[in-house]
Amino acid sequence: MPISFKSLSYIYNKDMPYAHKALDNINLDIKEGVITAIIGETGSGKSTLVEHLNALLLPDEGSLQILDYEIVAGVKQKFLKPLRKDVGLVFQFSEYQLFEETIIKDVAFGPLNFGFAPEEAIKRAAEALKLVGIDQSLFEVSPLEISGGQKRRVAIAGIIACDPKIIVLDEPTAGLDPQGAKEIISLFVNLNRKLNKTIIIVSHDNEMVYNYCEETVVLSHGKIMYHGKTTDLFADKEKLKEFNLLEPQIVELKNMLIEKGFKISSEARTIEMIAKEVAGQVKR
Amino acid sequence: MNNLVFGKYIPIDSLIHRLDPRAKLIGLFLMIAAVFIPKSWIAFLVIGVMIAIALLLAKIGIKMIVQSFKPMIVMLLFLMLINSLSIKTGYVLFSIGTFDVYSDAIFNTLFVIVRLLLMISITTLLTATTNPLDLTLGIEWMLKPLQVVHFPAHEVAMMVSIALRFIPTIIEETMRIMNAQKSRGVDFENGKLSEKISAILSLIVPLFSVAFERAYELADAMEARGYVPGAQRTRYHVLKFNFLDYLFIFICLLVMVFSILSRFYL
Repeated sequence: MPISFKSLSYIYNKDMPYAHKALDNINLDIKEGVITAIIGETGSGKSTLVEHLNALLLPDEGSLQILDYEIVAGVKQKFLKPLRKDVGLVFQFSEYQLFEETIIKDVAFGPLNFGFAPEEAIKRAAEALKLVGIDQSLFEVSPLEISGGQKRRVAIAGIIACDPKIIVLDEPTAGLDPQGAKEIISLFVNLNRKLNKTIIIVSHDNEMVYNYCEETVVLSHGKIMYHGKTTDLFADKEKLKEFNLLEPQIVELKNMLIEKGFKISSEARTIEMIAKEVAGQVKR
Repeated sequence: MNNLVFGKYIPIDSLIHRLDPRAKLIGLFLMIAAVFIPKSWIAFLVIGVMIAIALLLAKIGIKMIVQSFKPMIVMLLFLMLINSLSIKTGYVLFSIGTFDVYSDAIFNTLFVIVRLLLMISITTLLTATTNPLDLTLGIEWMLKPLQVVHFPAHEVAMMVSIALRFIPTIIEETMRIMNAQKSRGVDFENGKLSEKISAILSLIVPLFSVAFERAYELADAMEARGYVPGAQRTRYHVLKFNFLDYLFIFICLLVMVFSILSRFYL
């Protein structure tokens, strides 16, 4: 397991009268090379969980194993930098982290911090920018002058350029137009398929989760309510009601098609996959 | 940043919390004046008891006052040293080697300490019991007479309240950007000078750009709702003095009169 939480708890404002247990005895194993979604209501502890993956927060109780690094509550850590290189964290509204004079310099900032040689860092930056669809003509432009959507891409490139083994995304599509959101998600799906990166996405967008995330974790009040296959979760109407989740439209469509006599496999998660199965059955 | 006690508003309900902010501001000025006039310990004792009663009424623990006094300790030790070196009147209290410490030096320092302690208690009493927005309303009201000489009282008050409103937002933003840059391998604690400068830059530049963006958005939102600087405006919250407010000001006035009289009779 690349990531494994063991009885982990985290308390905000510890020792204060208004202390708040944000994570409560979390036990969780996240599979390697899989896209896992973390969903749950606002204040359920998603962001707190994610910040542990980058050692921005350290557990108050229990421990956390990430790749070869072990973080135990109350033990001082020495490997924060290599850990942060191996786990790339794309924050919500990540465009606000840009600061260098040019886009290429900003993207190379992470790799330089993690000890890549300057030429290597620039090379990686250029590759990452190409991957997120930023044209070479923009490389020397100030990152503060481009549009919001482009800024988001540049910020994401800044993480990809560090070559992390695990990529964690906190609401990567918030505030983007549908087309832009789809492009960003496809980018990470490709990174997962081609380079076998482990990807964790925190999201409110159940449609996106259903389409692209194989596994789903449901958090509520700092506790894990569900961890398993995304298709199993959304096929279970009682669970959806219990967790207060909306049924994705695509599940509704699947159910309607099944009612009409089509056979749709439970693995079909995107409109394209369903269309293919339906087409096969119509021809017969 | 959470251990800042001085100037922090404690949102609870008490008799003092409910007083009109203007009454509290007037009271603050009267009491601070009262603290600086007397020269006798009895007068200080009386003022101290009055303030202690107010603190009790406001439900502010002594712990908070002690905490807000902590940052002053170094300054006061320094003052003690300077006083011991410069004041050579009174009788010799004790000697360190050939160096004599005189009684007046110690008494003088104690006076300053007591005055500062009382003053901090008064200011903490005001800031802890008054919502920052109410406080700016109070300040605006006090600046109003200056409008005769074209002083923009309302605009200044608006600026102060916007600034106060955005302090927590900016702190939150700072933490977020710091986290984002830490994830990109920035080390804010260790490193060479050049690395530290680059770390600070990676925080300051985005912070500025966010602050400007917020400022533009806020300006647009205010204009969209018809805000015109200098225009006559009505208020949602209308401040009104009632009996308790007058009583409070009257008591503060009594304390000040007492402290003036104490200069002559005590």
